[in-house]
Formats: sequence, structure tokens, C-alpha cells
Amino acid sequence: MPIKILSVDDSRTIRLIVGRSLRPYDCILCEAANGEEGLAVAVREKPDIILLDVTMPVMDGVTMLTKLKEDPELKAIPVIMLTAESGRDNVIHIARLGVRDYLVKPFKEDQLIDKVGRVVALKKKETAAPAAASVPI
Amino acid sequence: MQDGASYQELSRRYGFAPKPESASRLTQLVSRQDSDLDEIAKVIDKDPVLRKRLLRVANPDAENEIEYAVETVEDALMRNGMGCVLVLAMGTPLALALTKTFQTMLALKLEMIDPNEAEPLQGEHLLGTIHFSGKVVGQVYLRMSIDSGNAVAAGILGLSPDELTDTNEIRDAAGELLNIMTGNFKSNLCDAGLDCRLQTPEVKLSTDFRTPIVPGGGVERMALRAGKIHLFVDVTANPWND
Repeated sequence: MPIKILSVDDSRTIRLIVGRSLRPYDCILCEAANGEEGLAVAVREKPDIILLDVTMPVMDGVTMLTKLKEDPELKAIPVIMLTAESGRDNVIHIARLGVRDYLVKPFKEDQLIDKVGRVVALKKKETAAPAAASVPI
Repeated sequence: MQDGASYQELSRRYGFAPKPESASRLTQLVSRQDSDLDEIAKVIDKDPVLRKRLLRVANPDAENEIEYAVETVEDALMRNGMGCVLVLAMGTPLALALTKTFQTMLALKLEMIDPNEAEPLQGEHLLGTIHFSGKVVGQVYLRMSIDSGNAVAAGILGLSPDELTDTNEIRDAAGELLNIMTGNFKSNLCDAGLDCRLQTPEVKLSTDFRTPIVPGGGVERMALRAGKIHLFVDVTANPWND
């Protein structure tokens, strides 16, 4: 079974970079542009891991994380924060809510793969495919 | 899950890069309304880049250092006050975040240049703005030519500029660049006790070169270059918006 990864970021650029980074791996990428959409996709797709931005319109990443951790069906899904914000209070608050790791933007693609690979077992695709399978928003 | 780890422990666990000490120290000093000017002058004097930038801000009409009327850090602080020091302190993490973003995501070395020596932008250009508010209020303006915007977006997305046909992708990449810059400097402000919130960045084509200054605040203009890519960053800020 391919690993299912949910990328929640209002920036299409970041979602494209995440998709490009994961292209060599056997995984399904789901996407959402804000926390509200992220929660809906998480309920529907039950991803193995969530990559979550902080500053987003409609619902920010901290609110989404709080709601995720309150939901018995979703709270065990590991979350890696992917954000430019690394202020002390924010980081401590987010750590207390419960995240597996934290990657500060800008990031290198191999840093992302390294952090994701520590949480879920990423396997390289056996044959080259044109693009990673993805689930649209 | 409860995690009672300190910020230092979390920084190590997550592998955060250390923050520039002079900028953090300066922001902390400015955030205290009773800070001593001598103390601030000592921090700036120890950092040649900050010193140079402060003197440039204090001599806005001078085209080079020979024309400077204000020549010492102390005089500059007396004339320009804390608002000016704050934008300097904020400018450092902004410029570092931009430089790091270019190095990390575009494999390009971005260097700061004297804004007076940069080739000025003309006509329609890409303008990104992001507003921050809280204990400190201000705006960050990121300007670049359309060609520079194309090159930045293509570099971030791993494409050649010819492959970029969607202007939304160019705007989104410029917006993300702005987001990364301001996210880093917001962290610096919050860590110094100047809590603030960021609004969603806005990126558009513009012919407007004005940078409105917050009443009583300061402005710093920065120019950065990587090959043919030129970026212009203006930061305006007014602290202590209680």
C-alpha cells in the first residue's frame, strides 16, 4: 500500500515542491489549501502523515492541529509542521499540541524527505513514473 | 500529547538554524521602551553591516558615504530614534531569510547591494506586500521586475522561465517568498516581546513605487541581487502600538 501524505498549505508553490520531492517515492499525495479543507481531506482520506503550514486563510494550521488532536479518529495521525514561523512561543505551543517534527521554510527537498522518512516508511518506486499520484483538493 | 520541552531543547530536536545574535539582541533592546541609547549603540557598533545600514538610513539624501552628514552611530540614533533601529533590526532577519531562500530553493547566491547603486525599477513590476500588526505595526514591500519574477518562480519550481505560462504561478511563488521572509522576521519580533500577526500576502502588477511610512516610524530600503535577478525590499514599522 502506498503511503498517503496530506500537504496543507495555502501556497500552491509549496504544494508543488512537496509533490516534486515525493515524486520518486511510492506515495499518494493529497492536498488542501487551508485548515478547514485539510480537516475535511483528513477525515475522507485518513492520511498516514500530514505536512502542515501555520499561516493560512480561513483556518490556520494551529487551529487545524488543535481540532485534529481533539478528534479520536484523527489524533494519532503524525503531523510535521512546515512553516516559516519559528518564534519561541509558537513552537512551544505547537509542540505541546503534539507534532512529530518541525521544518522551517525555506527547506531543501532532501530535508523534507529525511523528516518524512523518519515518521513513515518511504519506499522508492520500482519503475519510473511520470508523476506522483495525487488527490486534488 | 504534552511536551514540556524548552525552546532550546525543541530547537535542537527540530534542527533549527541559530538566529543572528545581534539582530535578536537589538530587537530585544528596542522592544524595551526604557532602553539606553548607549547600550543600543554598542550592539550596532559591533556589527559592521548594521552600522553601515544605520548610517545609510540616517543620511537618506546622500549618494555615497563621502556625502554623509551624520557620521557616528550615536548621532544617527539621536536623530532617527528607536523606530529607525527597529526597522534595521527587522531588516537583518528579512535579508537573511531571503538570502537563505535563494540559496536553498534556487541554488543562487543573493547579495545585498547599496540601494543607491542598484539599477532602479521602471514601469510595471511585480509588487508583493504583507501587513503586520500587533505591538509593532508596519508593512513589507517586495518589488521586482517581471523578468526577475519569472526567473524566481521558475527557479523555485524547477522549470525554465519559458515553461512558465501561468501568471498565477509567478504571483504565488513571489507571495511564498514574501511569506518565508516575513515569517522569519515575525518570529524574531515575537521572540523580542513585540507580538504581531501577519496578514496574507498580496502580489500584483503595479506601477506604484511609493512606500507609505507609518507615522512616527522608520523605513529601511534594501536591494539584493543574484545575477540578473534584482529584488527591492522596503520595511516600514512603528513600534509600541499599545
